[in-house]
Amino acid sequence: MNLLGEINCFAVCLKLSEFAMLVALLIVISISLLAASFMIKMPKHRLLTFVSAQIAAFLAIITTFYLMKCDGMLTIYLYSGYAVISTALIFGVQRFYDRLMIKRLNAKPISNVIGWVQEFTGRLANATVYYYDAAVPRAFAAGKSIFVSFGLLEMLSDDELKAVLAHEAWHIRNNNRAPYMKQLAIMTFSSPGREEIEELADRYAAEIAGSEALSRARSKLDKVFI
Amino acid sequence: MVKLDQINISNDGLTKFFSPIEAAILKTLWTEGEMMTSELTEKTKIPLTSIAGTLDRLVKAGYAARRIDNVNGRVRYVYAPVYTEDEVATEITTKIMDSLVESFGHVAIENFSKYSDKK
Repeated sequence: MNLLGEINCFAVCLKLSEFAMLVALLIVISISLLAASFMIKMPKHRLLTFVSAQIAAFLAIITTFYLMKCDGMLTIYLYSGYAVISTALIFGVQRFYDRLMIKRLNAKPISNVIGWVQEFTGRLANATVYYYDAAVPRAFAAGKSIFVSFGLLEMLSDDELKAVLAHEAWHIRNNNRAPYMKQLAIMTFSSPGREEIEELADRYAAEIAGSEALSRARSKLDKVFI
Repeated sequence: MVKLDQINISNDGLTKFFSPIEAAILKTLWTEGEMMTSELTEKTKIPLTSIAGTLDRLVKAGYAARRIDNVNGRVRYVYAPVYTEDEVATEITTKIMDSLVESFGHVAIENFSKYSDKK
């Protein structure tokens, strides 16, 4: 079946179906939520609205596919394959990513070089902190691990380091939701609300270590936070 | 970074073979010996954000070595050159001569001997 034929098929099926209105409604809801998400100031609410828009879009896609009466549609096969592969990749990689990074970066437990870091982070999240050999300052969270480069330890004062650790600890605490959000973004061909997530992590970091330490760390690190 | 395809004959001094930041770091390490990152940024007047990646590259390529130093809970890298200036000069010269001989054979060798006669 060719693509033009498929588009025609979508149009015919939707026209004949009693649920065409439902699909239209879902699309309208999704677009309005998306528009609303641009106007909302609070990062948490903005993120929730954005995710709701994605859910509505996803439901619209699923409903449309459900209504199709044509057999063997290429787009449905493609979309299902895309769903299966991306799910396997996202959830599979998520599970092993930190172990993979420990190996790749030859990362070592932070307790080898600084005593208080693991204890401080352990109080915020169930995470192990590792450092790795690199002068470029960088910090990121993966699975149940936080990685900091040695250059970061060298550059930041203790309270600035606490702000970075708290930021990453927030990611670990919320990591169980991250793969679902990524998956939803992939299924709706959009992006996960990365900016909002970083903003929420920063708010937490400011609460724990003080906004002054956070902004000092930020200005030193620029855009190396992930 | 001493790759023959990156040699730039029109540049000055070490920057023929290294990037300007790499050259500045190596020169400083050769004169001063062991140095902390903060001392390196001070001496070379290159900000840490630009120097950090270059230091990683120099260490990876084997021109600089670093160890971890821990004083009163403050950790830092201490850098040192792996080769002396003469050793690096020998390495570069050998690489270039090898490539000249490989391309031009006996003509290159004849020119080397003329050059050494002149000297």
